[in-house]
Amino acid sequence: MTDIAAPILSLRGISKSYGGVDAVCGIDLDLHRGDVLAICGDNGAGKSSLIKIISGAQPPTAGTMTLRGEPVRFRSPHDALQKGVATIYQDLALAPRLSIAENVFMGAELTRRLGPIQLLDKARMRAEARRYLSRLSVDIPDTRRPVQRLSGGQRQAVAISRALRWDAEIIIMDEPTAALGVRETAQVLQLVRSLKADGRTVILISHNMRDVVALASRVVVLSRGRKVVDRPIDGLEPDDLSHMIMNGAERPAVAAAS
Amino acid sequence: MKPLIERYGTAFAGMAMVLAFVVFAPNFATAGNLLNVVKDTSFLAILALGFGLALTIAELDLSIAEVASLSAVTAGALIQGKYDPSLAVLAGLGVGLGLGLLNGLTVTALRVPSLIATLGTAAIARGLAFMETQGVAFVGRWPTSFTGLSRGTTLGVSNLVLWLVAATALTYGLIKWTRTGARMVATGEAEEAARLSGIATGRMKLLGLALSGLFAGVTAVLLAANVSSAAPNMAGDYFLYAIAAVLLGMTMFEPGHPNVPGTVFAAFVLKALGNGLVLMGAAYYVQDIMLGVIIIGSVAFSASVVKQAAFKV
Ligand SMILES: Nc1ncnc2c1ncn2[C@@H]1O[C@H](COP(=O)(O)OP(=O)(O)OP(=O)(O)O)[C@@H](O)[C@H]1O
Ligand SMILES: [Mg+2]
Repeated sequence: MTDIAAPILSLRGISKSYGGVDAVCGIDLDLHRGDVLAICGDNGAGKSSLIKIISGAQPPTAGTMTLRGEPVRFRSPHDALQKGVATIYQDLALAPRLSIAENVFMGAELTRRLGPIQLLDKARMRAEARRYLSRLSVDIPDTRRPVQRLSGGQRQAVAISRALRWDAEIIIMDEPTAALGVRETAQVLQLVRSLKADGRTVILISHNMRDVVALASRVVVLSRGRKVVDRPIDGLEPDDLSHMIMNGAERPAVAAAS
Repeated sequence: MKPLIERYGTAFAGMAMVLAFVVFAPNFATAGNLLNVVKDTSFLAILALGFGLALTIAELDLSIAEVASLSAVTAGALIQGKYDPSLAVLAGLGVGLGLGLLNGLTVTALRVPSLIATLGTAAIARGLAFMETQGVAFVGRWPTSFTGLSRGTTLGVSNLVLWLVAATALTYGLIKWTRTGARMVATGEAEEAARLSGIATGRMKLLGLALSGLFAGVTAVLLAANVSSAAPNMAGDYFLYAIAAVLLGMTMFEPGHPNVPGTVFAAFVLKALGNGLVLMGAAYYVQDIMLGVIIIGSVAFSASVVKQAAFKV
């Protein structure tokens, strides 16, 4: 039996250096079920580097990871996906001219066997894709539509639906609202809330402090590859966060209050 | 409605043109001529379906014609040597599949762009075909069990037409109904996305190019059976036709995607066009000019996978 209070994912002493550059230095981090963890920091602080390690895109140079109490090493993003850690990539991961259903089930198609042949079960994939989307409170009646005709927010929903298809428990998003307009940003924020309501654990990188304060349950601030802040979000204002990022430490008054 | 024009515009234009020949070209609409057009469409369409499969995984197979010619002379050599016709058929298909696999391995394992890899294979196949035949054609009184593959009929229907129907149905089924087909399409449309989703994109590329070679082998056996002979450049004339059929096919039914109905229909339109022009007294070189215009026009019109495949060099 797994202890409910035990972290779903733990990092211990995770480091990454590229040649001489230490992008990530000795990070310890515990992620709990249902957390929405925001990772903040200045440009070059090491956020993306850390995320790539958690998503299986690159191995750490040092340190260990534990997933659901078991030591784990991801060989590739697909390996991580199979173990329940999905990453939502900005543009890379969708085939624009393929349909919503085809994108949601890419690499994990629903099939019926006919002897040695795996026949696609298209009707079920369409229906299930619609179901995943509605779980995210996104209503797209026709999942045969090509992804390129969708808005940026709807595309994110398709990418997240794929993660749900894999039944990912941990969903990683690197700047999900970076390229989006006001309405679409609101839509993506709603997606994250839906994920949280669905019991998923989310790791979010964002430069937008208002988004972070609105969504996250916890915040980690990185500075030059080190973790300088790790605390619950309650009571923090966007300004406090900006201050922490600039100073590479908690503002004394806030630290005292927490 | 715009989507309708987008999906069927060039198909209607093609139909209109065929109808124009029916009215204006002398002898076009006779049963004998139309059957010839359909038979010739079979060779072209099967070859083009293979090229389309390679294009589905976003690779160009420029070796189809030379591979087909080498397959044909290999089968022909065995027939001339009085070997069992079924062995000749297997050898012809084997050469196609083997060179297709070679293309696939060169692209996936050695990371040579398909444009270059298949160009090299084409040159090698061409050299081998001339070596096998010493430059002349194999001609002879070939067993009907071999020639019947193309010239025979089954239940009153030309066998060539039946092969075309079978190749069309198999390709369509593979792409539209199977998991493997869906993964080939995903690989061609967005390789990085497919890889991140755990699709073995290398294996899909290998499969696409191997099938392209196999289809060239099938075309070769049918061509040789039809004329009871095999020459080292016998499929050469089909090269530009096949590329034009796939690209023109990409402007119809599912614009922008290589697609089976589009390829087969375009193959028919092109062969009808070539035939009608000849009947109306056009010089032989007019066909080449027509193919060139169609190839460029089709890609300019849509065909984003082609641009993707060609610019990877
Ligand atoms: N592939 C790489 N090779 C060499 N250095 C790298 C590589 N990737 C990142 N770095 C370096 O590692 C450091 C951390 O980069 P990282 O991309 O993780 O920062 P980030 O916090 O995501 O920044 P941003 O907010 O700009 O996205 C930087 O100094 C960067 O130059
Ligand atoms: Mg980054």
